[in-house]
Amino acid sequence: MNPNSLSTIRAPRAFSVLSVLRIFAGLELLQHGTGKILGFPMVPGFAHVHIGSLAGMGGLIELIGGILFTIGLLTRPVAFILSGFTAAAYFMAHASRGFYPVLNGGELAALYCFVFLYFTFAGAGPWSVDALMGRK
Amino acid sequence: MKPSTVWAPRILSVLRIVVGLVLLQYGLAKLLGWPAVEIFKDLTWLSLFSIAGIFELVGGTLLILGLFTRPVAFILSGEMAAAYFIEHFPNSFFPILNEGDLAVSLCFTFLYLSFAGGGPWSLDAIIDKQG
Repeated sequence: MNPNSLSTIRAPRAFSVLSVLRIFAGLELLQHGTGKILGFPMVPGFAHVHIGSLAGMGGLIELIGGILFTIGLLTRPVAFILSGFTAAAYFMAHASRGFYPVLNGGELAALYCFVFLYFTFAGAGPWSVDALMGRK
Repeated sequence: MKPSTVWAPRILSVLRIVVGLVLLQYGLAKLLGWPAVEIFKDLTWLSLFSIAGIFELVGGTLLILGLFTRPVAFILSGEMAAAYFIEHFPNSFFPILNEGDLAVSLCFTFLYLSFAGGGPWSLDAIIDKQG
């Protein structure tokens, strides 16, 4: 394949950047989990979240999924679950408030749904526990 | 690690189209007033927000089409970094509190696209095939 082509993946640097994206996406998710479950950082909207509630269950998924995704352990199955989780979050919490994501506040959920979907197919990249363990 | 060779690039194209659409609605809302967003209602021409809107309108369109994905994504990644540090970072260190989640997420997604390209479902790929 032509190395200067516009559309192909440019290995191996692109794979390192894939890991960078994974780590930041994981941290981004993790702060929602820690905000809901551990109360850090203090988010006013999450002040009264109980673990048994829907938001609390979401927080648990975000906390555990965020940690696993950040370190890159079991990336593909975790990303698959998180993709479904963010899709559910979009349709349950945001879609009813308006059709356009810019108006219903669900852009982050919609964006992450597809980012996680991509990681289900692409895997974790070289900077991950999966790669250290030789897992594909 | 090697990504699954057939479907990973295709899903990359799907991701590119979705982030293009997310970005495009900001450009449309700021410059054309549709969809109508309250805080973008009275933007003056060539204000910081309107210039960002031009990036978002043109960049979003090019990303959805998959035309010049690498350079476009690189520029947009810089735009999102600037948006994050100018508009959100002064409010708080944590993205969840300063409302810069979307900007920082898009910044890294665009950075990846600038390395990985637009995938097989893009105008770039069609141009490659002919060239």
